[in-house]
Amino acid sequence: MTGQADGPHISVDRVNKRFQAANRAQLQALKDVSFEASRGEFISIVGPSGCGKSTLLYIVAGLLDASDGAVIVDDKRVTGPSPDRGVVLQNFSIFPWRRVIDNVAYGPEMRGASRQERHRVARQQLEAVGLTEFAEYYPRELSGGMKQRIAIAQMLACNPSIFLMDEPFGALDALTREVLQDQLLRLWERDRKTVLFVTHSIDEALLLSDRVIVMATRPGRIKEIVPIDLPRPRRSEEIRALPQFGALRKHIWTSIRTETLEAM
Amino acid sequence: MKPDSSVQAATLPRPPGRPVLLPAAVMRYVQAVARYYPVALILVLWELCSRLGLFDPLFVPALSDVLRTWYIEMFVTHDLLVHIAYSFGRAGIGFAMGATVGIMVGILMGRIRAVESFVDPLISAIFPTPKLAIFPLMMVFLGIGDASKIALIFLGCFFPIVIATYAGVKNVDKYFIWNARTKGANARQVMWTVVFPAAMPFVFAGLRTAMLTAFLLIVASELIAANEGLGYLIIFAQRTFNPTLMFAGVLTVSTMGFIADRLLQALGRRLFRWQDQQER
Repeated sequence: MTGQADGPHISVDRVNKRFQAANRAQLQALKDVSFEASRGEFISIVGPSGCGKSTLLYIVAGLLDASDGAVIVDDKRVTGPSPDRGVVLQNFSIFPWRRVIDNVAYGPEMRGASRQERHRVARQQLEAVGLTEFAEYYPRELSGGMKQRIAIAQMLACNPSIFLMDEPFGALDALTREVLQDQLLRLWERDRKTVLFVTHSIDEALLLSDRVIVMATRPGRIKEIVPIDLPRPRRSEEIRALPQFGALRKHIWTSIRTETLEAM
Repeated sequence: MKPDSSVQAATLPRPPGRPVLLPAAVMRYVQAVARYYPVALILVLWELCSRLGLFDPLFVPALSDVLRTWYIEMFVTHDLLVHIAYSFGRAGIGFAMGATVGIMVGILMGRIRAVESFVDPLISAIFPTPKLAIFPLMMVFLGIGDASKIALIFLGCFFPIVIATYAGVKNVDKYFIWNARTKGANARQVMWTVVFPAAMPFVFAGLRTAMLTAFLLIVASELIAANEGLGYLIIFAQRTFNPTLMFAGVLTVSTMGFIADRLLQALGRRLFRWQDQQER
C-alpha cells in the first residue's frame, strides 16, 4: 500500500475490450468503461449475463489486457497480476492437490517465505474464516461454502490492499451465501480494503456496497452508478427491513430488467 | 470470526490416515487376495489335469514341476536371476529415458505453441507404427546387444508418455493458473506448482501404458535376438525341448508384469489421494 490517501485507489479509464469472435466478427465486450474507486470503498458490479462484468474484473486484476484504455492502481498502470490485488474467482479455483493449509500458504510460499512463516500466516487466515480445524484436509473433502472461504483465506494471506471478487458466492446455496456475506462484511469492516465485487444478486450488492455499478450489455458498458447510503455497520436482517433498501432494490432491479429484456 | 456450524457439514470424513485397527487391515489384504480366486482355480485345475495324465508333459508340464524348476533356476543356480536382471536392466533404462524425454517434450508441447506445431504432426505420423517393425532396422544401426533393445523400449515408452503428458498439460484449468498468478507466482512457479501437479494424473496413466509396452517389447526383442534375458530364456527352452523351463520363463514374465502394474497403481493411489474417487 502506498501512503497516498486522497487520490483514487483504482482508476479505470475508458477501457475497451474486443474479442475476436469465431465468425471473424469482433465482439465488443466492454465499451468506454470508466470509474474510480477510493481507498476502502466497497463497489459491487451488477448487470445481465454477458455484460462483461467478469471481463472488467479480470482486466483490473491484470489477467486480461484491455484493447485500449487503462487501469491505474496507486498511480501505476496495471500491466499484469499482482498479489496486492487479491482475486477470488467464482469456480472454486483453490488447488485440489494441496491440503487446505498449503492452499492458504500459497501466496507467501511463492514469495519465498519459510515453511514455518507461511504456515503461521495461513493458520491466522484460516482462523479469520473459521476453518482452523480443517487445515490438514484436501479440498475435495470440504463443502462448496468451505472451499470459497479457503479461497478468501488464500487471498487474505497475500495481504492485498484490493479485493477483486468474481461472484464468489454464486455457486452456493442461499443459507451458506448469507452466512458468508456476513463474514465478508465483518472482515471488510475490520480491514477496510478496497473491494470490487461482481455479483448477480441485487440484494447482495445492496447489503455489501458503498456504490453499485449497473452495467448494460451489447456492448458491455456502465449504465449508472448508484450510491448506497444505507447505515453501517450493516447486518443483513436489519438492512433488509429498511424502507430505503426496498426503494434502492426496486430502482436497480428496474434498471437491470430493461437491460435483461433487451438482451433476451 | 467464529465458525458457523450451519455451514460446516456435521459429519465430514476424517482425512485419510493409517488404519488404526490391525484386523481391518489384515481383512483388506485377505479380500484383495481372495479376489484372485479364479486364477488360483485355474492353477489347481492345471495341476490336477497333469496328475490325472490328461496333459502330455512334453507340451504342458505339471505346475509343480514348473515351480520346482523355477525355484532351482532362481535360488540354486541363479540362472533365472541373471536373465531377470538383464531384461529389467534394459527395460528399466529404456523406460526411464522414455519417461524423462516424454514428460519434458509433453510439457513443452503443452506450453509452447511452436514446439506443439512442430512435434504434434511428427507424433501423429510415427505413433501408429508398430515399434517392433523398426527393430530390425535398429539392429542394423545399433547391433544385437543392449543398445538396440533399449532404443526400442525408449521409443515404445516415449509415445504413450508424451501423448498423455501433452493432454494433461493442455487440460489444466485456466482458473488454476489465473489463481496462481494473482497470488504472485511467476511462470516457473506456475509450471511447478500448478501445471505439473494438475497434469500428474494424466502423466501417470501414460507411465502405466508405457510400462506394459516396455514389458511387451523387452520380451519380444529378446525372442528375436539376444544371448540373455527372459525372452531369450523362453525361446532357448523351446528350441532345446525343455517345456518346464519355458513355462517357468513365461510364469516369471507374467508375474513380474502383474506385480509391477500393481505397484504402480498403488503408488498412484497414494500420490493422487487428493482426487475424487471417480476421477481416478
